[in-house]
Amino acid sequence: MKPAIEARGLTQRFGRQLVLLDIDLQVAAGERVALLGDNGAGKTTLLRLLATVARPAAGELRLLGLDAVRQRSALRSRLGWLAHEPGLYPALSARENLEFFCTLHGLPRGRAVECLEQLGLTDDALRPAAELSRGRRQRLALARTLLHDPELWLLDEPDSSLDAAGRDLLGRLVSGRTLVFATHDRGLADELDARVVELRAGRVLDRGALQVVR
Amino acid sequence: MTFAACALAVARKDLLTEWRSREVLPALAQFVLLALVVTLFAFDLDAASAARIAPGVLWLVVLFAGLVAFGRAFAAEKVQASLEALLLTPAGPVAIFAGKALAAAAVLLACEAVLVPGIGVFLGVGLPPLAVAAVLLSTAGMAALGCLFSALAVQTRARELLLPVLALPIWIPFVVYGAAALTGRAPQALANLLALDILVVVVAGLAARFVLDD
Repeated sequence: MKPAIEARGLTQRFGRQLVLLDIDLQVAAGERVALLGDNGAGKTTLLRLLATVARPAAGELRLLGLDAVRQRSALRSRLGWLAHEPGLYPALSARENLEFFCTLHGLPRGRAVECLEQLGLTDDALRPAAELSRGRRQRLALARTLLHDPELWLLDEPDSSLDAAGRDLLGRLVSGRTLVFATHDRGLADELDARVVELRAGRVLDRGALQVVR
Repeated sequence: MTFAACALAVARKDLLTEWRSREVLPALAQFVLLALVVTLFAFDLDAASAARIAPGVLWLVVLFAGLVAFGRAFAAEKVQASLEALLLTPAGPVAIFAGKALAAAAVLLACEAVLVPGIGVFLGVGLPPLAVAAVLLSTAGMAALGCLFSALAVQTRARELLLPVLALPIWIPFVVYGAAALTGRAPQALANLLALDILVVVVAGLAARFVLDD
């Protein structure tokens, strides 16, 4: 079985600043990986490369067996990307936000209602996203990620603003899925039974049990 | 999901957001009326001079209202951090671009619906139907180019400055042919505007993929 993620020598620069250097990472299908590290360690940058929303300056990246740069269009609908900001439309209701993305994914609108229910947002369906609390908005963003049932989940601080019930829900949501997420919270990595990859100053540290060391 | 359905979904979402938030339209309508009032006080107008300056006032107001309408097209997605989620759908960057251009063109058309009768009321100059057709044709081409430059400018820090610098010189042919349509050479000017529209829509559509995706 091909790995879900195969990264070799991934490097990223912002101008002259090197933010990721020579990252190797392999993630098996069904595996959960937590990217840990201080602010500026390169977690979000690595996730953005994996989500194909940024291109690496150097290195090779294969996702779900496809080249992440050359076959990006074919890959994108198979990825579930949740950025650090929820990225919702504040004037639209929770249901309208999801229905809009259902249309773009070619899914029936009923899928929006299913996902709202799954994330415990049925009562908030008609409320504008702007009126939802930060935690409810995060749930709504997770519901959007769930809509098209992606094969590979890439989440940047998914527990951000979630209460205990929200964290439980997140655990149930990602159970059995291939997931890479960035977090500052080692407890979340344990809760989600995730392998920990620790980044420091754009490099992966050797953490013993890791498959990937450099 | 067809290209047209995705583009229409994006346009509908943008217009619904504008209808509910009323961020741009009331301000633009106010700008149109103020521009006409200022014209009234700034020039010593009689019937002959009003007829001479009316085309100039029309095109100046259309250009500056266009900068605001098209500048918001991608700026809002940037502020809401929702553009990445949009680009990760199977809709494709060109359909997203087309939807945003359609919505921005509709906003500018709404301004023109205030401007054209406003010129009649404030300056006492009625615009002939062929001149109105020239405004409509120019709006289509200006929307395609304006949204392309808006997508480009939104990725830079000085986006408010960059959009006018890029768009105004490229819009000049629309002003030249549009003004010609108001001064008695309407059929030829309209034919030129139509040809220009086709050219810029094709070029902007081809370029949109690279601007949004890279």
